[in-house]
Amino acid sequence: MNLINAELFKLRTTAIWWIMGIVLLPLYAASVLANWAQFASTSPDQVSDPDQAEQVRAALEPINVATTLYTSGQYFGILIVLLLSAIIVTSEFFHLTATATFLVTPKRESVILAKFGAAVIVGVLVWLLTTLLNLIVVPLIMNNLDLSSQLGEGAVWRAIGLNLLAFVLWAVLGVGLGVLIKNQLAATLILGIVYVVGTSAIGLIFFLLTQYVAQWFENLQVLIPTTASQLMISGTELPGNPPRWVGAVVLIGYAVVAGFFGTWLTKRRDIS
Amino acid sequence: MTGPASDAIVVDHLSKQYKKLRAVDDLSFTVRSGRVTGFLGPNGAGKTTTLRMLLGLVTPTSGNATIGGERYTELHDPIRHVGAVLEASSAHRGRSGRNHLRMICRAAGLPDSRADETLELVGLTPAGKRKFKGYSLGMKQRLGIAAAMLGNPQVLILDEPANGLDPEGIRWMRDLLKALAAEGRTVLVSSHLLGEMQVLADDVVIVAAGKLVRQGPVDEVLGSMGTTQVRVRTPQAAELTTALSALGATVAPQADGSLLVGGAEAAAIGHAAFTASVELHELVAERGDLEQVFLQLTAGMAGIR
Repeated sequence: MNLINAELFKLRTTAIWWIMGIVLLPLYAASVLANWAQFASTSPDQVSDPDQAEQVRAALEPINVATTLYTSGQYFGILIVLLLSAIIVTSEFFHLTATATFLVTPKRESVILAKFGAAVIVGVLVWLLTTLLNLIVVPLIMNNLDLSSQLGEGAVWRAIGLNLLAFVLWAVLGVGLGVLIKNQLAATLILGIVYVVGTSAIGLIFFLLTQYVAQWFENLQVLIPTTASQLMISGTELPGNPPRWVGAVVLIGYAVVAGFFGTWLTKRRDIS
Repeated sequence: MTGPASDAIVVDHLSKQYKKLRAVDDLSFTVRSGRVTGFLGPNGAGKTTTLRMLLGLVTPTSGNATIGGERYTELHDPIRHVGAVLEASSAHRGRSGRNHLRMICRAAGLPDSRADETLELVGLTPAGKRKFKGYSLGMKQRLGIAAAMLGNPQVLILDEPANGLDPEGIRWMRDLLKALAAEGRTVLVSSHLLGEMQVLADDVVIVAAGKLVRQGPVDEVLGSMGTTQVRVRTPQAAELTTALSALGATVAPQADGSLLVGGAEAAAIGHAAFTASVELHELVAERGDLEQVFLQLTAGMAGIR
């Protein structure tokens, strides 16, 4: 516990937390507005392809609108959590504080565990912030869309809960990846770019594979971490998508692999 | 608190092989408690690597290094036992010095008040709330020492602590380390400031090219090199030179008019002068200085590897 406390103290005593906070808030607001605009302007009648029309109709069911809106901010919130979690590790090397840290705690696995703990707490806090804002703002938007708040629905709360799981898993992933990409600048750039652009880029590759190689590649799309977490929190089963638990399994898999490999690597490394 | 005998540092056949470079090569030495030990060597001799292996930060290729009989990584509460200053620039630029210390306190389960106490000890209290990036090199060194003293340890290990200190700071550091050793603590200081080490250290460990060159009390190491010379001043230099040459001593006239005599004790020189009726104005046995001895001992081993 001392170590987690120390990790949170490290985060709190530098500027990084409020810089990330300042970045997050406008991005969150933009996500809410974008979701709102999308639901306000889309209707299944505009879509000609019957399969797609079916998907759009499902997405526009009040319960699915609600789960999407109540988890607004996931995309950017998780990006911030991912970067902060990686920085919890990389800043030790960037600012040469790793020496002091490992002198106090020579058992390096304890330090990494504490970093996982601190990152998870950060993930929970960002989730709490976005969820509280959503609970305030979204009922108003639902009202504007002529829908009830849907807060009585179990599916909505399940989506909010799974959203929490996504934040936690991405936090763990961030620490693991921070250990792998020790250079702070490289870590923030690579993770940021891969997170934002990578999803569409890999999505495109999967699309081409599906089109020209074999249809079953489509089912592997869930291996993209961002796709997996979006799938995991989708309110109800959407047609044409793998079940939600697959998304959870994929994310947990990545988090566990990154966590174990990161710890193993930290134990072996010479600190100089 | 453990007894003095159990706080010795023992480095035992320690080696570290980097890809092509043998940074530390079968190095063994001991550091006793209650004394200041200078760890000397040219740049790249493997001093820092040795200290990092001693502190569990770098894994040795072979050999062992223990403090009080235990490896650092096996110590129960390491910073209450061993304090280390490794690099002066190792704090987050945007964090205040006080918070840097508090962060260590929290990880070690020490009360935050220790941070203020050690700031006071190193004279950094007025700058405690300032961010680390605004610190001078000397202030950074002081902060490093404050961090090392947080757990009030019995063993102190410092890597080049005098770098960047002004003369007043060097004096302060010398007094502090001597006082800590006088309390029975073990103090190991690496440095290449040989003049400072000659004043500060009781024992020296000299390494070059990763190997041990010499270890022992400063006086012994200096004496063993036979560099003791006697400075003589006389108005009758020619007569004295003749008399001393007859004894087999070497006489070297110096620019300031004095003579440096080698190969004869001060008493023998005095006696020779007396029997030759030569008037003496000065007769001083000069200990060779650490710098000369060091350069002699590490000659040819100091190159960049």
